[in-house]
Amino acid sequence: MASSETFKILYFAAAISYSKCDGETLPAPLPLSQLYEMLEKKYPGITEKVLRGSMVTINLDYVDLEEEAERVIKPGDEVAIIPPVSAG
Amino acid sequence: NVHVCLTHAPLNLSTTVDLVRSPKAGAIVLFAGTTRDSFDSIPVTTLSYTTYTPLALRTLHTIAQEIKEKHGLVGIAITHRLGDVGIGEESIHIALSSPHRKSAWAAGEEALEEVKKKAEIWKREVFEDGSVWRSNRDGERGVRVED
Repeated sequence: MASSETFKILYFAAAISYSKCDGETLPAPLPLSQLYEMLEKKYPGITEKVLRGSMVTINLDYVDLEEEAERVIKPGDEVAIIPPVSAG
Repeated sequence: NVHVCLTHAPLNLSTTVDLVRSPKAGAIVLFAGTTRDSFDSIPVTTLSYTTYTPLALRTLHTIAQEIKEKHGLVGIAITHRLGDVGIGEESIHIALSSPHRKSAWAAGEEALEEVKKKAEIWKREVFEDGSVWRSNRDGERGVRVED
C-alpha cells in the first residue's frame, strides 16, 4: 500500500495495553465516526476500557467526536488516543 | 520569559530558578513535585512518565503564557522529567518570578493545577507486583498495566 494512503495513529498509556504498540499506520481516508468501531474490531475491549474515557487529537488538535461526526481522517493525518492525563 | 522543557535528565533546582531570576522580580516561587514511596499505603518502587511530546510542549507553553499574563509575572519556567523518577527525586519543577510575593504564590498554585489537569503526560506507578497507569482526574484508582 502506498504511504500516501495511510494515516498515523499514536497510542498512549492504557491504550498501549490493547494495541501492544506505540503507534501504527492505518488505511485512509477513514470517517472519524468509524474510528472507534475500527479500533474495537482490531483490539476487542478497547472501547469500553480505554476509548470511552479518552480524548482524540488529529494533527495536535482535540476533536469532538460528536460535533465533528462528518469529519474524515485524511492520508498523512496524525491521530492520537489521549487517555486521562497524569503529569506531576 | 516563558520556558517549558521536557527532559529525561534529572532536574536541577538552581538551573530552574535561574531561568526566572530577574532584577525586576522581588519574589521567586519554586514548586518541585517528588516521587513519594507509597500510594494508598501500597509501597511504590518508582514512577515512570511518558508523553506526547509536541502536544505536551504546546499545552505547557500555553499554560505558562496564560499564567504569566494573568498574574503579571516577570518569568515562568515549567520543566517535566520523563522516564523513571525514583523515590525522592523530582518529576516536575514550576518556577516563577514576580514583582511581589502575593501573585507569585497564587500563580504557582494555579500553574500546577493547570499542568496536572491538561498536560499530555502520563504517570505509571510501579509497585512490586505490577504497575498502574494513574489518572489525575477524579483521583481514580488507575488502570492496571496488562502484559
